[in-house]
Amino acid sequence: MAKDKLFGLIDINWRFELTRFKLIRSLFKSRWFPLTIILVNLFLFVIILLAGLLGGFSPGNFNFGVMMVWILWWVLLMFVLVPVFSRIWCMMCPFPIFGDWIQRRRLLMVAEGKLGGLNKKWPKKLRNMWVMNIGFLMTTFFSGFFTIKPLATFILLGSIILIAFLLGIIFEKRSFCLYVCPVSGFQGLYSQFSTAEIRRKNFDICKKHKPKTCFVGDKKGYGCPWLVTPFSFKKNTYCGMCLECFKSCPYDNMAFNIRPPGVDLLVKEKRGLDEAWKSFIMLGIAIVFFMTMQGPWGFLKDMVRMTTWQGWLTFISAHSLISLVVMPGIFLLFSYFSRLLSGNKEISVRNIFINFSYTLIPMGLGVWIAFSFGIILPNGSYILHILSDPFGWGWNLIGTAGFPWTPIWTNLMGYFQGATLVIFYLFSVAYGYRISKQTYPKTEEAIRGWIPILCFLTLIVIVFLWLYLG
Amino acid sequence: MRKIEIVLAIIVVFITIGTVLGVYGIERYRRSQLYDAVLTARAPENGNWYPQKIIVSYGEDIKIYIRNIDTVSHGFALPDFEVAANEIKAGDIEIIEFTANKKGTFPFMCTVWCAERHLEMRGEIIVE
Repeated sequence: MAKDKLFGLIDINWRFELTRFKLIRSLFKSRWFPLTIILVNLFLFVIILLAGLLGGFSPGNFNFGVMMVWILWWVLLMFVLVPVFSRIWCMMCPFPIFGDWIQRRRLLMVAEGKLGGLNKKWPKKLRNMWVMNIGFLMTTFFSGFFTIKPLATFILLGSIILIAFLLGIIFEKRSFCLYVCPVSGFQGLYSQFSTAEIRRKNFDICKKHKPKTCFVGDKKGYGCPWLVTPFSFKKNTYCGMCLECFKSCPYDNMAFNIRPPGVDLLVKEKRGLDEAWKSFIMLGIAIVFFMTMQGPWGFLKDMVRMTTWQGWLTFISAHSLISLVVMPGIFLLFSYFSRLLSGNKEISVRNIFINFSYTLIPMGLGVWIAFSFGIILPNGSYILHILSDPFGWGWNLIGTAGFPWTPIWTNLMGYFQGATLVIFYLFSVAYGYRISKQTYPKTEEAIRGWIPILCFLTLIVIVFLWLYLG
Repeated sequence: MRKIEIVLAIIVVFITIGTVLGVYGIERYRRSQLYDAVLTARAPENGNWYPQKIIVSYGEDIKIYIRNIDTVSHGFALPDFEVAANEIKAGDIEIIEFTANKKGTFPFMCTVWCAERHLEMRGEIIVE
């Protein structure tokens, strides 16, 4: 059978296992990893929270909390952590450490017996992205404050950590991370594009292995805290890369692979409206964020910053409408045209809508990477200042407190953004056609049915090119 | 194995509570060694100067650390001792020095138009 090659270059089934190297496998099997990195990040977040609290209403550009979270960490997430390493941030995130501690009664070793806390099961109807979708959208209502007022960042992060702790006591394992964390939603969505994955190696080994210790746990590792089945899961969406399965598998049958980007988009299982809507929400937020943060319209900035109640209410209404209704509505129309043009009346518009919504994932990621150029290039130099004077107290820890504001390559920013948008558009097109062939049984139906979706993607990229490049 | 867990628990407490106490402690010590008073500049709508009364000892060389935590510029002047700071930009720090060579109550004020109630942005230095 002919190999399916992405852009005619890379076999979609190509994998390179990093854990074939003894050092990496030993690291992944050690209980000290990733705990050590989590503790380092815990320290950083204590500084972030303290800076946020002490910063109060002072300018965000001189505040460690604001700069580290909304400039450095956010940009790292979008540029590197998610597109390259999937949910690797979840591996080292300190938010759930206290909940885990209560459940496990241990920080490092594996506790025997039942986990602590109430261990309630998360409500079945909410075992999807809907809570995260609405939560993340509502968080962006206050975007006019988070990047400007350190206290707003403190309140947001503090609330997330508190909720993570409380839900860790009430619900089983990483229910907070799976279903509530606002960061988790877009990581889960865009990790499907990532060039890294954790998967089982040999199917036969897992088939014969009973009980499946990667799921139920053993003396060396906890059963998957993310409630997935490491022996069989096929998408990155809900794998938090905690590495417990590496520790609990007695056959070393788990692998950390490098792979071509976007291969999860072709996995048909567990496609759903929740992930579809997440795509629209992320695109909608990108449009609104660009217009309000990097655009030239001062009145929009006033609305976002709650200069008047009326303005802010108008902003959140329009923002919600765009993300939840307008964009999905337009896409629904194109999905309908897809079915019409395909000539196949047996496939439901719902299925077409859901399947093709996954073509928006590369496009959405590209939009956010392009947006992030607009964050880091003008503002990155402030990071040197805050590393020396994290609390704005006149410290000079590493001698860079006086480093002046220095925009970097802002004259080239448009080119970076434009190139990024086009590259990820091409990924969307490449996978979109493949998804069309999955959706429609006949090739000619797939080709015809693909055309409206291609038009939608092209429209989207033109809109963003116009927005970003002017 | 229990020992490791106890050590890790201490590390977590150190990282969290220890960091907060450490940062506060270091800064408090630093300010006590370097400055006689710490003054926070805020527009009257956001709380005004804090504190609005500073008490210093007669005859001493005084150093005041002024921190502008607002999002607008402020200024500072203490006319009776002929000291002033030009524009203190948002987020910036300014150090004011003078000798408290007369007793009494002396007003200080903001000298950069910062808000609607700018003229109310005043405080007092009491030399006793």
